[in-house]
Amino acid sequence: MTETAIRTEGLVKDYGRVRGLDGLDLEVRTGEVYGFLGPNGAGKTTTIRILFDLIRPNAGSVMVLGLDPRTDGIELRRRIGYLADDFVVDGRQTPRELLTYLANLRGGISPVVIDELAQRLDLDLTRRIGALSRGNRQKVGVVQAFMHQPELFILDEPTSGLDPFLQQEFSVMVRQAVSEGRTVFMSSHVMGEVQRVADRVGIIRGGRLTTVEGVHQLRDRAQRRIEIVFNGKVTAEEFSAIPGVSDVQVDGKVLTCRLDGSADALVKTLARHEVVILNAEEPDLEELFFDYYDRGGSR
Amino acid sequence: MLRNSFTKWLWDNRRSVLGWAAALAGVGGMYAAFWPSIDNPEMREALENYPEAVLQALNFDEIATAAGYLNASVYGLVVGLLIIVYATSAGTRIIAGDEGSGTLDLVLAHPVSRSRLAMERFSALLVSLVLISVALLLVILALTGPARLEGISLGDLAAMHLHLFLFAALFGSVAFAVGAATGRRGVAIGTAAGVAVFGFAANGILSGIEGLGWIEDFSPFQWLNGGSPLANGVQAAHVSIMTALIFVLTSVGVWGFSRRDIGV
Repeated sequence: MTETAIRTEGLVKDYGRVRGLDGLDLEVRTGEVYGFLGPNGAGKTTTIRILFDLIRPNAGSVMVLGLDPRTDGIELRRRIGYLADDFVVDGRQTPRELLTYLANLRGGISPVVIDELAQRLDLDLTRRIGALSRGNRQKVGVVQAFMHQPELFILDEPTSGLDPFLQQEFSVMVRQAVSEGRTVFMSSHVMGEVQRVADRVGIIRGGRLTTVEGVHQLRDRAQRRIEIVFNGKVTAEEFSAIPGVSDVQVDGKVLTCRLDGSADALVKTLARHEVVILNAEEPDLEELFFDYYDRGGSR
Repeated sequence: MLRNSFTKWLWDNRRSVLGWAAALAGVGGMYAAFWPSIDNPEMREALENYPEAVLQALNFDEIATAAGYLNASVYGLVVGLLIIVYATSAGTRIIAGDEGSGTLDLVLAHPVSRSRLAMERFSALLVSLVLISVALLLVILALTGPARLEGISLGDLAAMHLHLFLFAALFGSVAFAVGAATGRRGVAIGTAAGVAVFGFAANGILSGIEGLGWIEDFSPFQWLNGGSPLANGVQAAHVSIMTALIFVLTSVGVWGFSRRDIGV
């Protein structure tokens, strides 16, 4: 087993005049959950489609599980599980028909596995797919992605169609797969979707990877919204000068601001006043994520 | 039936295939059953008053025998046109239709090669065309007595249906190949429809124009019933042309499909 599950170097993909990927360097380590984040149109789906050899890059190299999707695609796809954001299939068949066919394409999958997964997700295998709700259709997708116990999961916005209960169950399944040494590559435009499960996060924007960081580091470096209630009047000027503090607003005895990084300088300034309430919000990675977008844009 | 993409295609299209087989056999049988009402002196006289060009355009110029009538108004007209509709729509669906509805990605994310998927599905389409041709063959056979279709041997009837099968497969392969190579449903249907219109016009109308007689040799309709397989058996040249074209078209389609990007 190779150390790197997915590696791309200088990946470029043009759609006519529009550039989909602009030199993407990506590295996903074996056994990790990698959150691939970016706004719609940033190149997430383009990247995933290249990994499956559905489309071919104009330049750059791709290796997945040590194989080239272009030349060893069949062998490679045997070892990957794929789930798209919206699982669309011909609605005139039942989940059992579809899953049996897909299992036969892979070969060597027991029907029992399909039954077990369906039971776990509370999916009725006998109703026509066309008559299922979007969430139930997505369950069919989850079953086909997990049924062959792949080494690598490539999930394109996987939980967008799932209800909260299923998102929870899905997270459990992902974590279980990782505990067995499997790798998960998960794209999303919503931070919260990957926050629960990801080890590392890569942020893609305009077809390039702008940031790669551990989820915890991201959180440590995040901006927090701070609210302080004093026992007396304060001025905004005194606090605006503190390193890391921005967006200071004073309303009588109440001060709100944003804190970026260390809280030390702020705390030392506060020590000169009588503080009644100090309220620091846990950073929402969602907000953090937009923050990264903004910085990427101003670069 | 869910073992591979060949049987899966037949299973998924079972209703459509059975429906078309019934429709084609029904309509073809109905037209064939009109023969006794046309085979009378009054009708002949009426037809003789039509201008030669009109008769030729409508394929009615050899209507004096049962074989000529079936050739002209059943195979050359209603059955021929209907089977083009089926073959074109099924051929388009194989790749371009599946791609257009966004359902092709899932199968291609599995360990199958594009060329194998395309060939298995196209083979299934050929099987469906055999079923449809055989259904009509059985109906015509059953009508030989009741509809007084004298003078047609079983061998010649089978020959006609071989031509019909290849004719349909040709349109299926045009739609399949264009759809597979471009991924565009509209282009695939449009091309097949264009070939059909040209072929129909070339066979009936254009070839009647002074100096344009040669053009009918390029019409699929000529390859379908030119030389009257119903009276004279298999027309080797036409069978060869259609077989070769089907082979070339499917090869080009599969080649193009393997090389291009799959649409979102």
